[in-house]
Amino acid sequence: MEDMQKKIQSELDSFKLVQKEYQKAISNRQQLDAQLNENQIVKGELDILSTDSVVYKSVGPILIKTDITEARQNVEKRMDFINKELKRVDDHLTELEKKQNNHRESLNKLQQQFQQAHVKAAMRA
Amino acid sequence: MATIGPPEANMHQIDLTKLSIPQLTQLKEQLDQELVVFQNSLQSLKVALKKFQNSADCLGNFGPESEDKPLLVPLTGSMYVPGRLKDTNRVIIDIGTGYYAEMDNDASKDYFKRKVAFVTEQMEKIQIIGLEKSKIRDAVASVLGMRMKQQINTAQ
Repeated sequence: MEDMQKKIQSELDSFKLVQKEYQKAISNRQQLDAQLNENQIVKGELDILSTDSVVYKSVGPILIKTDITEARQNVEKRMDFINKELKRVDDHLTELEKKQNNHRESLNKLQQQFQQAHVKAAMRA
Repeated sequence: MATIGPPEANMHQIDLTKLSIPQLTQLKEQLDQELVVFQNSLQSLKVALKKFQNSADCLGNFGPESEDKPLLVPLTGSMYVPGRLKDTNRVIIDIGTGYYAEMDNDASKDYFKRKVAFVTEQMEKIQIIGLEKSKIRDAVASVLGMRMKQQINTAQ
């Protein structure tokens, strides 16, 4: 009986750990999504500007003059990177989901076993 | 600034009357939470809209007639240095992610017009989704109430 309780407890703990990781991955994904959106908007604005317009990039408190084609390339590179990150996080998320389901199943099983043992013990008493 | 896609097309149809009371309660709580998220997004979009409109108004305030006019430039919150408007047809605009673009008056007016239109569009989208959600929430709440009453009646 006590043995079982310990097993359930440890299973529950690892389940909670996975859940926490899942939450973290979700918020990470949301952040990346927001960044991608912002970069897309900036890219749109840069595309509207003519090639001879003056563009500055802020580095700390100062603005540095940049070439517009360079700025466009830069934003595109960033978008590529974010897209790659998004894919990685998505894969991680599906993996965690699987893990979560496995834990849930084994928890259910353990709980059932525990209840059965409980009933048996009650009958014997 | 998040873009909102169309509502999910692959939503399952669920008969609310077949759900148990705990399930209904959980569903209602979830919907309540989602509604709060929508309210918050709407609020921040409103703030963004105001900022863009303010900037556009500010831009309209100085035309060529204010050229060479004196002004005070704030260096810190409490210290100003005198300056003179040298060029009223050229402004630098923050277009996001650390990039600033130099635009003339017309281009910057266009920019703000675009931004205001974009934000308004997003707000409309959220409002539509929010309305839909609150309808679902009301439906869930009424079914939940019905079920509660039934349970009380059978218990008596």
